[in-house]
Amino acid sequence: MMEFASVIAGAGLLLLLTAAALKGWLASRPLIPGPAGEEDATEPCPEELVNRIFSRTDWDFVHGLRAGGIERLFEQERKKVALVWVRQTSRMVRKVMDEHAQAARQSKNLKISTEIDIFGQFLMLMAVCAILSAAIQLAGPLRLGGLAHFAQRLSQRMSKLQETFRAGVLANAGEAGST
Amino acid sequence: MLSESIWWSSIVLEVFLLTRGVSGHLIFRYPVFYGYISFVLAQSIFRSFVHRWSEQLYSSVYWTTEFLGLMLGCWVVFEIYRVALAAYPGTAKMARNVLLFLFALALAKCGAALWNDPHLLEETTALQMERALRTVEATSIVALVTVFASYSIPFGWNLRGILLGYGLFIGERVICLTFVPVAGKDFWFYAYSASYLVALSLWLGHLWSYQAIPEAESAQLEREYQMIATATQRRLQEVRGQLRKAVRS
Repeated sequence: MMEFASVIAGAGLLLLLTAAALKGWLASRPLIPGPAGEEDATEPCPEELVNRIFSRTDWDFVHGLRAGGIERLFEQERKKVALVWVRQTSRMVRKVMDEHAQAARQSKNLKISTEIDIFGQFLMLMAVCAILSAAIQLAGPLRLGGLAHFAQRLSQRMSKLQETFRAGVLANAGEAGST
Repeated sequence: MLSESIWWSSIVLEVFLLTRGVSGHLIFRYPVFYGYISFVLAQSIFRSFVHRWSEQLYSSVYWTTEFLGLMLGCWVVFEIYRVALAAYPGTAKMARNVLLFLFALALAKCGAALWNDPHLLEETTALQMERALRTVEATSIVALVTVFASYSIPFGWNLRGILLGYGLFIGERVICLTFVPVAGKDFWFYAYSASYLVALSLWLGHLWSYQAIPEAESAQLEREYQMIATATQRRLQEVRGQLRKAVRS
């Protein structure tokens, strides 16, 4: 049992350090703004668009045309749009976490329970995005309405959280500047 | 023959590393790390003399110096933690808590094992003891690296080299200690010795000359931001409460 734990710990450490060396996790990674347009790409999609991507209304219309070629094309296009939305959502969640980490790492009053909670939310969102992506690939976006709405609600709340976070930073910067 | 060439290569690389450390003044920036290298160098030479003089004494000298080296190694990990997180009290607090949790877990596991078998300590060989301690050390390094990566802690070239080299050395050593035979020489015996050579080569590459840690210069500026971030934490908590209610509703 102990031997097994040792091998797991050793192999885990070797893999983690190899990944860190290859991906530059231990290199200097300041939060540099991306190229023009990327900022917009991490904004949440409007809820109406998400409703549309995962709704069956358009599909029912296309199905009613009874044209196999258009149906296939519609399914392919809708799948691509849905996958882009999932990638965008997960990118936005990562950005929120990056910004949080940049600020939290210097906070003397950092709360471990809060950090664990935020990290838990982050992991849950990333897992939902991964599952969603796999499910879209397998079943297509039209059967996944419920799960998509859940992910959308959560990511928008995280986005609001980020806005409040920014607002707090700006407000306090103003206070610090006036004193 | 292979053992001797590994031994000599290690000695040469250690001397070279120490020479570069002195000439580049790195020895003053990472005193614990260079103290560790000096200790390992002195220990290798001392063990070799003892081995020639008295084989009976060799075993006790070997294990005493091995455990001293292990303790010094833990101090190296502490130096990495101290230097890397000097400007980041938030992450330092997180790292301390994670490490405390891991040590408490290891102590609890050890206590439970002793409770189940009171003769465990007498039955445990020095090799098994070292493997257990190195496993705890490896787990601690995994936790530290995870915290560093999660909080995007900027590492200088030198400190990154120390961490990568020491981490890889411990990882390799833990695996080798699991498979190395008590007597005789097989692949794992040589891998065990050679793992230190890999670490030395990495250190030599990364510690050739001093390179500043990025953002270390702007620490003063970031300390002002720190006050802002601390106040923001409170707001984050409030919003988190609202968020939880909304998700449950």
